[in-house]
Amino acid sequence: MAVEIVMPRFGWTMEEGLLAEWTKKDGEAVAVGEVLFTVESDKALNEVESFETGVLRIPPGSPPPGSVVKVGALLAYIVQPGEAAPFEAEAAVSLAVAVQGREQAEAAHPAKPPARSVEPVGKRAISPRARRVAAELGVDFTQLGGSGHTGRIIERDIRAASAKRPAPAEVRASPLARRAAAELGVNLEHLAASRPGRRLERADVEAAAQAATQAPSMADRPSLPITAARRVIAERMMAGAHTTAPVTLTTEVDATELVRLRAQLKNDPAAAAQPIPSYTDLMAKLVAHALGEHPALNAGLEGAAGGPVHIGLAVDTERGLLVPVLRDVATKGVRQIAQAAAALIARARAGQLTADEMRGSTFTLTNLGMYEIDAFTPIINLPECAILGLGRIVAKQVVVDAAAERVAIRQMMFVSLTFDHRRIDGAPAARGLQRIKQLIEQPYLWLVT
Amino acid sequence: MTADLGKAELLDLYRGMLVIRRTEEQLAKSHQAGLIPGPCHTYVGQEAVATGVCANLRPDDVVFSTHRGHGHALAKGVSPRELIAELFGRVTGVSRGRGGSMHLFSPEVGLMGTSGIVGPCILQAAGAAYTFQLLKSDRVSVAFFGDGAVSNGAFHEGLNMAAIWQLPVLFVCENNMYATEVPFAYAARNTDVASRGAAYGMTAVSVDGNDVRAVYAAAQAAVQQARAGGGPTLLECRTYRTRSHAEGMRDAGYRTREEVEAWKARDPLPGLRENVIAEGTATAGDFEAIDAEVKALVEEAAAFAQASAWPDPATAQRYVFSERGGAAHA
Amino acid sequence: MREMTFVEATREALAAAMEIDPTIFVMGEGIGVRGGNFMTTLGLYEKFGPERLRDTPISERGFVGLCTGAAMAGARPVVDFMFVDFILDAMGELINQMAKVQYMTSGRLKLPMILRGAIGIGNSAATHHSGSYYPTFVNVPGFRVVVPSTPHDAKGLFATALEGDDPVFFLEHKALLYSKGPVPEEHYTIPFGQARIAQAGRDVTVVALSVMVKKTLEAAEALAAEGLSVEVIDPRTLAPLDMPAILQSVHKTGRLLIVDEWFGPCGIGAEIAAQVMDQAFDDLDAPVRRLNGAHTPTPYSPPLEAALIPNVAAIAQAIRDLAAE
Repeated sequence: MAVEIVMPRFGWTMEEGLLAEWTKKDGEAVAVGEVLFTVESDKALNEVESFETGVLRIPPGSPPPGSVVKVGALLAYIVQPGEAAPFEAEAAVSLAVAVQGREQAEAAHPAKPPARSVEPVGKRAISPRARRVAAELGVDFTQLGGSGHTGRIIERDIRAASAKRPAPAEVRASPLARRAAAELGVNLEHLAASRPGRRLERADVEAAAQAATQAPSMADRPSLPITAARRVIAERMMAGAHTTAPVTLTTEVDATELVRLRAQLKNDPAAAAQPIPSYTDLMAKLVAHALGEHPALNAGLEGAAGGPVHIGLAVDTERGLLVPVLRDVATKGVRQIAQAAAALIARARAGQLTADEMRGSTFTLTNLGMYEIDAFTPIINLPECAILGLGRIVAKQVVVDAAAERVAIRQMMFVSLTFDHRRIDGAPAARGLQRIKQLIEQPYLWLVT
Repeated sequence: MTADLGKAELLDLYRGMLVIRRTEEQLAKSHQAGLIPGPCHTYVGQEAVATGVCANLRPDDVVFSTHRGHGHALAKGVSPRELIAELFGRVTGVSRGRGGSMHLFSPEVGLMGTSGIVGPCILQAAGAAYTFQLLKSDRVSVAFFGDGAVSNGAFHEGLNMAAIWQLPVLFVCENNMYATEVPFAYAARNTDVASRGAAYGMTAVSVDGNDVRAVYAAAQAAVQQARAGGGPTLLECRTYRTRSHAEGMRDAGYRTREEVEAWKARDPLPGLRENVIAEGTATAGDFEAIDAEVKALVEEAAAFAQASAWPDPATAQRYVFSERGGAAHA
Repeated sequence: MREMTFVEATREALAAAMEIDPTIFVMGEGIGVRGGNFMTTLGLYEKFGPERLRDTPISERGFVGLCTGAAMAGARPVVDFMFVDFILDAMGELINQMAKVQYMTSGRLKLPMILRGAIGIGNSAATHHSGSYYPTFVNVPGFRVVVPSTPHDAKGLFATALEGDDPVFFLEHKALLYSKGPVPEEHYTIPFGQARIAQAGRDVTVVALSVMVKKTLEAAEALAAEGLSVEVIDPRTLAPLDMPAILQSVHKTGRLLIVDEWFGPCGIGAEIAAQVMDQAFDDLDAPVRRLNGAHTPTPYSPPLEAALIPNVAAIAQAIRDLAAE
């Protein structure tokens, strides 16, 4: 059998070498230990000895002496006398194996938690603790003085300021002003603090909302203004994070079948003109199926669990996070869902969503996989009691048969379910997540009602 | 001095050396093909030392070795499969892919580690011997090291302690005349390694390290002495490596072609084979059968290694501490 | 409860363990017949004999390497190195060998080995007998590092070390060796990674190491009279380090000072500060501060020596300054 002679590796970092000259000719007999050719690498001239006894055959396409050749590239063969040389063989290089092994070893690990975003606020120094307490108590510290050593605002300054504020019940505002404040996301307490002694009218609220949404030029205000939309998001997130008892369960799912399903949907010629269902669309469908079996996770207003499944989709827009709602997901097919979702997302990005389209969800889906996020801890979208976060789908080497010590490449995805432990316990939530996992791993199960 | 060995033992010695020879040749080839990501220091030419010494050891005796340790690993009972897979970095390797050539461990067969640092194996072998003495067992331990280690502090401190406490340990110095490219004649004014034994009050012997029967006999005496509580031995085996210090490193510039050829002519394998056939103790056919068997064994081992899985990166942080000890330092 | 010294407490734990575990032996200079320079093994030679209380030549690298091999082969060596400065000759054996055996063998070999001895500045011992060096050991993966500050803790932590499977540095400050404290008679262990709240408080958290625990408690007493409530934490082990206890305290007080006789650069305080900043950023009302010994070799003359280490007054002032931040 023909033995391949390749460009050898001298030294650990050598990637290519210069083939200096052949000391044996094509067709010449060689014995073990005899020098076949010499290689120039780094500073040294290296002799390459033969490990075999036989006849040297150099293919016509072999790199000529003087050329720089990659380590592992085929140079010649040693065959037995009378044996034909496989010159039509490709340059089979097994260097790739070692490289591949290294690449697999360097494959990304589960991501670190996303960096906390810090809200920049003007130039006055404030300790992180004071900033946190200010957020908890809702104290606006932009006009406060600091008693810290460097003039820094510290915790006691915040607590002192908080003690001086009027209680929420004391905020005097007309009913119209209150409704406008709710619609426009204006904080009445903040507004009242800046207009002491006056009863707030709707005009005050509308003016405050408009001032907040105007984007000043970078020249006159270096810090970012807090828009009304941002305030609403901030308050809802605070409520989701701090008034619930949030617990996040994470599981790694084999999404190989889901990937296949989507590919099939994508390649279906009958639906060429329709929007291709995204992974979020597919997940909405199967989550709706799972929620039918685990109604405790599907909650609407006033904590009523069960009933129709309306899924909120977290959408990133220029104004911030918006959550339009897909209605009655369980009754719709995947193509319908894809179309409805595509329309909602487009309207969200264009700022054309109506209030009705953003209300009434019983469960929310949020997908950060497109940003290469592996897993995260989504915040519950009150008044729901659970939310599912989707991570990216990434090819990984996993154990498919532990007893036989077999591995395979599968498409893996982390899904994270945050649930409100006040309303649901860990085991039922885990069972719901486990069911979702099963449905992802075996999508054909949705066909069974 | 030749030991009294029968046909079976002599063929076993030949086979042991051949397994090392063929495995090392395979590793050299694989290294050139890019299958070994790290360093590889081959033992070609020195097979008689590892084989002759380890043939006198029990499975529960222990061996500590150095950076040129493949021969000792194989002679102590590590399979070619596990050795090649380890150098390929696979999870089926003897160190589960964590060690590579210079950190081979198989405590199950008494291989307590090869090492990338010269010297510690001498101290650790003395330490294992200390434990055997303390626990009143008759196990022995062996340190394999080169002429380079003789100048190291560990040699001095280790031999001294072994001598004062009469520890059951063999200190086997494979004097192959070079530490990388530095001749022993430069590193030591006194190039007689065995003569150092007297400085510590220790039994010391020097043998032809390419004569497996001579190595076997000297090691046998040393092991018996140690087991009987008679204390340590310094065993100098004069030998030679016919390949470069490490695969991929140049072999020219510090020694002559003639010197290498002269030692190749004293190759321990044909050395034993020709003598045994001439003495009539075994036939050429006996040796050829072993040749074929070992060839197939090593080829299969290489194929096994190449087909083996890589270690899972998710396990990379395990075993820093004993699992019983709980979570690692935060 | 009876009182005994720090050294007597560890000796009690050692003797009890040696009684039931025949694989434990002690190796070091002068620890045999003499009973140890600091009396760490007083009386044990008569009980257990020369093989288990093994006097060594001056060969630190040698006997540390030897004990590593002994541990690999099934014994439980205790290296009594006397002064930590001496063990530096064995750094290669410690870091390249001892620390890595369990990892390299995927746990198939254990390394139950204790290196115990004296650390710290005092009594004009000067620069070759005054070191601590623990950040180096904490930094290397594979070591446990224990720095008890009371006889009670010394006995319990030593007992834990004698039962574990990992290499342990058991570092005893010279100024604490003959300090007395209550020590229970029965056998007990203290888990690694569990700090002790030496004193509870509200205004400032102080993490103090080894001999600094006592000094900090004295400073805190003086500050209590000034209306400052100080929480003093003794981590007891540096690897593993009880960060949850420290974080919980910082959550309460918002201010953290770390007091350590050893050097500031890359020290334990730097590590704690980095972790607190990472995990408790929003709890901090002031920057994290460290009070360390001066970053110099240790001089001989008493006024020079004293000038380098934090004393009670310096600790108190550092706490005051932090409270005012």
